[in-house]
Amino acid sequence: MADPIHQFEVSKIVDLPDIPIGGGRTIDMAFTNSTLAMTVAAGLIVLLMAVVTAKPAVVPGRVQSVGEMLFGIVDNLTHNLIGPEGRAFSPFVLTLFLFILAMNMLGLFLVFTATSQLAVTAALGVMTILLVIGVGFARHGLGFLKLFVPSGVPWPVLFLVVPIEVVAFLLRPVTLALRLFGNMMGGHVALKVFAGFVVSLGGLAAGGGLGWLGIPGAALALSGVVALTALEFLVAFLQAFVFAVLTTIYLNDVVNIGHH
Amino acid sequence: MASPVNPEGSRPVTELPSAEASEAVHGHEVSEGTTEVAAHGGEGGGLPQFRVEYWGGQIIWLLILFTILYALLSRVFIPRLRAALDQRENTISGALIAARAVQAEADAQAEAARAEVAEARARASRTATDAKAAVEAERSRRATAEEAKLSQYLAQAEDRIRTGRDQAMTNVRQIAVETAEVLTEKLSGRPAASDEITTALAAQGSR
Repeated sequence: MADPIHQFEVSKIVDLPDIPIGGGRTIDMAFTNSTLAMTVAAGLIVLLMAVVTAKPAVVPGRVQSVGEMLFGIVDNLTHNLIGPEGRAFSPFVLTLFLFILAMNMLGLFLVFTATSQLAVTAALGVMTILLVIGVGFARHGLGFLKLFVPSGVPWPVLFLVVPIEVVAFLLRPVTLALRLFGNMMGGHVALKVFAGFVVSLGGLAAGGGLGWLGIPGAALALSGVVALTALEFLVAFLQAFVFAVLTTIYLNDVVNIGHH
Repeated sequence: MASPVNPEGSRPVTELPSAEASEAVHGHEVSEGTTEVAAHGGEGGGLPQFRVEYWGGQIIWLLILFTILYALLSRVFIPRLRAALDQRENTISGALIAARAVQAEADAQAEAARAEVAEARARASRTATDAKAAVEAERSRRATAEEAKLSQYLAQAEDRIRTGRDQAMTNVRQIAVETAEVLTEKLSGRPAASDEITTALAAQGSR
């Protein structure tokens, strides 16, 4: 029986030259299975979008409807949460959403889930929060710091509230990264464990004797796998959507400081 | 993929042969990246995601792919999508405007048709009235003419009657005169003066 953790193992496919980053340290730029999964995901998005926008019909076909629906979800999201200025962030949020969605979905079809790698989710989370901070300073300068000072709070309480707000803000990328990472990894571990039960209980039954008792258990585990797979498709979409929604909310916080 | 069957206890360590082997090939990395080695040994393999030797590569690849994807989406695909959506909106609103125009035209035409019908009806009734009046006039004209003719006939007839009567009366007088002459002659033996008789008759006639 395969180790349920084994699927998260990163292995090199093509070894590329390392990049030195000073101090004698290097970054291993090898093309790994994780990189492959990301590349396939990105390629699929480009392919989908190319097909969707190749011959835009006034009355959309199926593929075009899907593409326009995905874009519409994000575009409406940014517009509804942030306001008219929100459309400017649609490309970023759409990229995040589609990329995460594609990586999540690929994990259910292929053997590797890029979003179950903490490095990937952490990079996405940090990227998001850096954008949020950048937008905040670009739009409001130092007024961005008002984000940490809630209005209508008596000043002595601020000594308590401001640090809490700062910590809460800094925890945003952490929660973004860990939520996605945990959901994807947890789902895949559970799938693998249940699938392992099917095999081991089936093996028990194949051993003869009282082993036939394993068959109902294996059947139960198999139905569990089927149900979990369906659930994982929902989770894959939902986590991508949640990431996009939270990114939009965080952007809204800094675009409309003091309005929330 | 999976390594051959491992004893339960040592599995986490021996499960990672490929990664460790590749690290061994990259000997300098393992020896220099002390934290990685510590993470390796300390957690006894642990979750592969917490082994940081692939973090840098994954993050940089992710950033590269994300940048490409963002550039393509924001420069190429989203404008195309927006154009398609705008075009659809324009088409729909254009169709709506056209439909409204057609509706208005149809309304106008219906209105015109209604007016035409009303006018035709008015014309028809007027024609009917005119015809009736003409017929009436013709009839009364003919009646008048007929009446005139009739009254003319009547007058002629009356004239004739009057003439006849007058003639008859004259004849009667003549007869009376002659009778009176004969009677007088017979009675008196001499012819009577006709003027006396006439006077007597006139006196008689006036009584």
